Amino acid sequence: MEGFLGAWVAVGLTLFIYSFLYKDNPFFKLAEHLYVGVSMGYTIVRIYYDTMVKSLYQPMVSEGKWWLVIAALLGLLMLTRFIPKITWLSRWSFAFVVGFGSGVVIPRIISSYILQQVQGTLLPLASVGEGGFRFGLAQLNTVLILVGVVTVLFYFFFSIEHRGAIRGAARVGIYFLMISFGAGFGYTVMARMSLLIGRIDDLLLYSSSDYGYATIVLSILIILGLLYWERSSRKAVKKVDMP
Amino acid sequence: MLFWKRQFPLFIAFVMGVVFIFQYYIPHPYSEGMLTEVSEWLRIISGFAIILGIASLSHLHYKKIQRKEPGWGYSYVVYLSMIITVVVGLWSGGKEEGSGLGWIYNYTLVPLQGTMFSILAFFVASAAYRAFRAKTKEATVLLIAGTIVMFGRVPLGEYLVSNIGGLAEWILNVPNTAARRAILIGISLGVIATSLKIIFGIERGYLGGKE
Amino acid sequence: MRSFAEKMLAIDRRWIFGLIALATLLPLLYPVGLPIRPSPQVKNVYEYIEGLPEGSVFLLSMDFDPASKPELYPMAVSILRHAFKKNLRMMGMTLWVTGTGMAEKVISDVAQEMGKQRGTDYVFLGFTPGSSAVILNMGQDLLATFPKDHYGMPTSELPVLKGVRSLRDVQYAVSLAAGSPGIETWYVYGKDKYKFELGGGCTAVAAPGIYPLLQTGQINGLIGGLRGAAEYETLLERKGKATSGMDAQSATHFMIILLILACNLFYFVTRRKDTRRR
Repeated sequence: MEGFLGAWVAVGLTLFIYSFLYKDNPFFKLAEHLYVGVSMGYTIVRIYYDTMVKSLYQPMVSEGKWWLVIAALLGLLMLTRFIPKITWLSRWSFAFVVGFGSGVVIPRIISSYILQQVQGTLLPLASVGEGGFRFGLAQLNTVLILVGVVTVLFYFFFSIEHRGAIRGAARVGIYFLMISFGAGFGYTVMARMSLLIGRIDDLLLYSSSDYGYATIVLSILIILGLLYWERSSRKAVKKVDMP
Repeated sequence: MLFWKRQFPLFIAFVMGVVFIFQYYIPHPYSEGMLTEVSEWLRIISGFAIILGIASLSHLHYKKIQRKEPGWGYSYVVYLSMIITVVVGLWSGGKEEGSGLGWIYNYTLVPLQGTMFSILAFFVASAAYRAFRAKTKEATVLLIAGTIVMFGRVPLGEYLVSNIGGLAEWILNVPNTAARRAILIGISLGVIATSLKIIFGIERGYLGGKE
Repeated sequence: MRSFAEKMLAIDRRWIFGLIALATLLPLLYPVGLPIRPSPQVKNVYEYIEGLPEGSVFLLSMDFDPASKPELYPMAVSILRHAFKKNLRMMGMTLWVTGTGMAEKVISDVAQEMGKQRGTDYVFLGFTPGSSAVILNMGQDLLATFPKDHYGMPTSELPVLKGVRSLRDVQYAVSLAAGSPGIETWYVYGKDKYKFELGGGCTAVAAPGIYPLLQTGQINGLIGGLRGAAEYETLLERKGKATSGMDAQSATHFMIILLILACNLFYFVTRRKDTRRR
């Protein structure tokens, strides 16, 4: 029963959102605001149980970690942002969090993103072994990656004017960027279509007799609803236009 | 008083920043213990930060109702749905399995959020039709790369042209990797610069307010 | 010809929406089932899990929300089936608050399907806020980060977590990520210091940006998008939602390519006429 009712609710809300493809309408607005409210409510429940109870209250009471009250105080100080007279107290919390984040990120980013990424770029451009000098596809790819990284970095270096050799390097960098953005576009299309395929798949599942043909019935009802809304809106506009 | 409002927060940021830069290089048990403790505090403070975000959003809708802005009635929908979800969630003890909270999650939140983002598929198609034109050499290169990747990453494309999948993979593994790596290095340098500015009090935007 | 081209360039976008809807719907109703060729980066994740000895500790962080469910949920299903088939000690968690319900559902459903016991064969740690702070905390003291699992059971008493004190005791971790916090966060704050092997699964939007980490070996493999999920299902020889979606994926991609070619054709026709007039 719960699944049957749930299917009708899920299909209804899905079609409410898709009605936006026709035009912005009350069904869409209702679903949109419902989404905001349910998200907020669910987040509150999760924070209450997963942070306040499990990470704060229980360790303090059951494990004697009373010093966690300092973290709770810092958290509460953050909420003073809403009280104009003492809003400055929230700065202590933000400074604590932002200071920690800034300090912790510097050595880790140097290690992970700069040193290791540069190391991955500076690979042998040719190999010399038993068969002698070898320059195959792998070596060509390494050269291309090196050229690509350097030229794109040249493109993004705006502190010096792009003239002469630097301009040439930057132009090559632009083409590497265009290929990358093209690949990104292709993958973005793939991602968005996948999301649509997932939703249509669910709508097809809920169109079966097991779920009382929910998709078909609700599609008809929503189309009729949109037509009625469209007619009412036009009548209201005509009344306003008439002298 | 001005010290507590202005200088003291900058001092906190400086101390925290410097301490945790050096902590990375000090494997002593006290140093590791400090990282363990402070990261635990950060988890708890993050919970309060999320509450701050929710309170901010609630305030926005409250103002909308108060000023009777267009669509203010829908703000009641936000409050009502939030309250119902919280009440059901507390009644379910925070558990999703076979509970009212699980029902709300599976049959309202999942379809709503999923559909909100899936609608972008239609707009991507419409935008591609209207705007994706080979007006310049660079745009043509972007277009060709995008087409090869779209063609090569689906079974039908690989079935029609046998090596297209390999070409699409090569585009991702070589020119794409090169460009993204350069962007990553650039962003990392930017993050380091911004973090240093925060630690040394040059960047103060996170404090907010005028004083 | 020109007026036709101009009309087509100015067409109501709802016709395009209709074409996309048809391109999605028809292959789902009438599937073809073309073969899917697994890529090296997906094979790397599969082979690493396949090579793990029984009883190894495997962490799956499901860092996504319902918006990315169609791409990442099938990945989670396949990886969990594989891990349970290999009798690995499974730890599930999420760094995304609205993903908690889905993460809980997928691990419970697959565990039930594979006959696995909660607490003995797997644990669902749940969600805790903090992103990078969570990973750092887990790297230092995992049981302090999650003193209780999602269901309220003390983690120190669970047989599946025996001997697991921190991320250093994890043999393999995979982050299925829809953005940040995700694979990069797990690498920067996790693998870089705590030295566990890391694999990734991500939405197709994020995939091109992860390739630099893949090329340097900072992550050992990457499952990108619905296509990656379908490849994993092929390797596991168990078709699921990802494989069934690939026909529709093919159709929609071809539709987009046709639309782009058409718009460029009409654009060049109108541009040629403009040039001739001048």
